[in-house]
Amino acid sequence: MAAHEDAFGRQSHFSFWPLIERLGRPVVNICAYTWQVWLMIYLSFRAAFYDQAQGLRTVCGVVSAQIYFTGWQAMPLITVLALATGGIIILQSSLQLSLLGGASMIGNLLVVVVVREVGPLITALLVIARSGTAVASEIGNMRVNREIEALEAMGINPLSYIVFPRILGGVISLLCLAFFFNVIALTGGFMVARVTTDLPFAFYMDSLLQAIAIEDVALFFLKNGFSGLIIFVVACYQGLLVKQSPHEVPQVTTKAVVNAIIYVTTFNLTVTALWYLNQLMRLGLWR
Amino acid sequence: MKGVAFDGFKRLRFESMSFVYETGGPLVFEDFTADLPLGKNVFVTGSAGSGQSTLLKILAVLVQPQSGRYYINEFNTTEMSLEEFLPIRLKIGYSFDLGGLMVNRTLRENLMLPLLYHKICGDEEAAERARKLAEEFGFKGQLDMRPAMVSGGLRKLITVLRAFILRPEMAILDDPFTGIGIDAARKVVRLIHERRETGELKHVFLTSRDGSWIRELDCVTLAVGRHSIELQEERAAS
Repeated sequence: MAAHEDAFGRQSHFSFWPLIERLGRPVVNICAYTWQVWLMIYLSFRAAFYDQAQGLRTVCGVVSAQIYFTGWQAMPLITVLALATGGIIILQSSLQLSLLGGASMIGNLLVVVVVREVGPLITALLVIARSGTAVASEIGNMRVNREIEALEAMGINPLSYIVFPRILGGVISLLCLAFFFNVIALTGGFMVARVTTDLPFAFYMDSLLQAIAIEDVALFFLKNGFSGLIIFVVACYQGLLVKQSPHEVPQVTTKAVVNAIIYVTTFNLTVTALWYLNQLMRLGLWR
Repeated sequence: MKGVAFDGFKRLRFESMSFVYETGGPLVFEDFTADLPLGKNVFVTGSAGSGQSTLLKILAVLVQPQSGRYYINEFNTTEMSLEEFLPIRLKIGYSFDLGGLMVNRTLRENLMLPLLYHKICGDEEAAERARKLAEEFGFKGQLDMRPAMVSGGLRKLITVLRAFILRPEMAILDDPFTGIGIDAARKVVRLIHERRETGELKHVFLTSRDGSWIRELDCVTLAVGRHSIELQEERAAS
């Protein structure tokens, strides 16, 4: 290994700089990418606001189509996932809580696990897999086919015509799907678990309703709304990165999925961590 | 943000413009300075890869040069936002050499899109304009088909016709005649002549691989170089 000189002119055989440099480049790239994604959110909302020609009819047409593809068509799959997830969690938690003598806490546990954590994450992953890929490849193909250029040539801003309605439709769809997931997981899941458990339904529902607080509603909108925003902005951004060749489309689609998963999971983890730090501070357990 | 007040094309000027594609490659234009002729049918030509299509795209402000300025009248287009440029954009009809149709829309919807988006007219009049073009060019039976269901020639023809649907003052046509058939090409030439006679269309810039249509349009030739252009005032007869 080559010798390096430290700040005092002493010879050293180890230097942190190459390591820091190696770490620094990906960090700079991630920051630059995140900045670009935020910039696109701003530009697409700004374009939609300033575009005097684009009427509500145009936006509503694309938004409703997006809700149909992302929300409505995903309902059978989300139903299966919600039933399975809800059933498993209710079965396990009711069994464990009965053994520990805390059956009355089942509502709290389910709200924490399903509504706050599993629901937003599973719904987001499902939407990334189904719709994030679809949007990225659709926009990528539009680039290849020169549709984006054609829109510009006709005086139509692609950010307000293509990107904004997809983001809006995506966020609405994700919120609806997450709500649907929670309802099916908590009620339908109980029906699935009812086969093997003797937990009374009235007791279960009472426990659930008592456990749900206003903070859960805020957390629901924050996590799901922001996940929807991230997924569709990243998908649109990646799609628009296609330059001219069809072979770029699967590459940007894959990258859209990977980046969206990283952003969504990191965001969910950060919100959860901050949330529980706040709870601990309120209880005086952490200063 | 509002669009600029625009009352027609009076000057097109490039100043020290340089352009290279994002995907790399050599400079297409370098320190390019020129005034472009107005009021004529201009055939843009040059050696292969000399940037004829690129020049048309820059003329239509679909791509921006990396340095230098492109003036339309007194407006420096390199510093204008989409909203500011919109009044000028609506006076330019542009057709691509390849692609450019919305694949999830029918041919009718493709033709009507700019009219309805910019609220130039209502649904009925837009549909009527599309129907008239379809009747004239003989594709009425395919109006409700999507681009993937019709021939490549018809797709190309639709992009050319869409460039005229807003009744632009300037038409920029990138190789409009290749692949559309002799009959359709003849009708496009007639359409250009008709629009010129009515005074709607004042400036035409086009590239073409087929010299015969250039003769029919009585074009002047503009030879594109890397640094400038050369206007050959004699009509493009060869």
